[in-house]
Amino acid sequence: MRTAVFRARKQRKTAEGFARQQAFDVAIADLVRGIAVPPETAEWFVNEKLVATGKRRGWRRTVRHPAVVAVALAVAVIIGIGVHIFMERLEDFPGSVEAKKLLATASGTRISQLESVKADAGEMSDLFFMKYRLEHYNVPPEFARFRVLGWRVFLGDDGDQIAQIEVGERRMQFFLFPAAASPEGKTAEFVGWRYLEQEGWVGAVQQRNGVNFLACLRGRKRDLAAYIAKGPDGTAVRVGR
Amino acid sequence: MTGDEAKAQAAFQDTVRRAAGGAGEGEPVHDRLWFFREARWRCLAVSEQGLQAETVEMEEAEISAGAPAQVARLEPLQLAIWIAGAPEPQRSALAFYYLDEFNYRELMSLLEMKIGELSDQIARARGEFQAWLDGHLPEST
Repeated sequence: MRTAVFRARKQRKTAEGFARQQAFDVAIADLVRGIAVPPETAEWFVNEKLVATGKRRGWRRTVRHPAVVAVALAVAVIIGIGVHIFMERLEDFPGSVEAKKLLATASGTRISQLESVKADAGEMSDLFFMKYRLEHYNVPPEFARFRVLGWRVFLGDDGDQIAQIEVGERRMQFFLFPAAASPEGKTAEFVGWRYLEQEGWVGAVQQRNGVNFLACLRGRKRDLAAYIAKGPDGTAVRVGR
Repeated sequence: MTGDEAKAQAAFQDTVRRAAGGAGEGEPVHDRLWFFREARWRCLAVSEQGLQAETVEMEEAEISAGAPAQVARLEPLQLAIWIAGAPEPQRSALAFYYLDEFNYRELMSLLEMKIGELSDQIARARGEFQAWLDGHLPEST
């Protein structure tokens, strides 16, 4: 705009037009100034202090404003969900998806759905091998001495054979299922025990010889950890995350 | 802005009442432009009711050297009536521009216009008003 005004002043014809325009505007503005303000209107400005003259809203007041509080809460919730998802991802391990499905299966299983047998959990591997040709479906020593109430073998979503055992000790349930294999045929492995929790159930997973073993019960992590930490003969056992 | 003193008065009082209400609740208006913006929208809302002026294509004339003298012979009410008869957004642009209260940035903010649009509106209005002056108050008289 400054450039335009400068150019207008420089060229004679344009300068003349610009000067006329300015004089025209000044004359109109003077006329507008001459418009009388009605007394009742003027009174409003005398009696009311409507425009804030003091400091603008301070940061403390701004922070307490409902809109700011609502936005802050929303951001906090989003961050919380993000952290929760991140923490869940951290707890993932090979076979955790299948294990979570089996926790749901455990919570819905009735004893009437299982075949009864008089044996210890550790002896079930022979039965699984002889009847279903399931190799390495072994119950770890920590849980091997518990008395079996019932068992079954069923097909999972992927068509894999899954062995399920229920024992008398705290109505614990065990699942044995194949570890997921990569396209190259290698199974993703991990060492020790991995815990997972879902809807009041807690599970601990161990992987050996390409077979996952899941022990689960209704309760908290510490209920299950007590069995794993002690081991079958009271010795300490390596525990994963 | 409305062509009707009573309507303008009502729009103005509603605006001030709203500002006073906010000040009473500890939320005073910090921006003086708020009053003009609010009053403008109230005036527009009020002026949309009732009979509407017919849009007429007006002639334009070049600003003459004697224009200030012609304007000086006018009554303020005549100017007010002429501005009230202008179509929107030219009417608002003229009202705010000739109040001589705002810089261009404020005018653009108030009128929600770009600078080119604003200067077009004002330039056209000048030419139209000059033509009207020439018709009603010729320089020779």
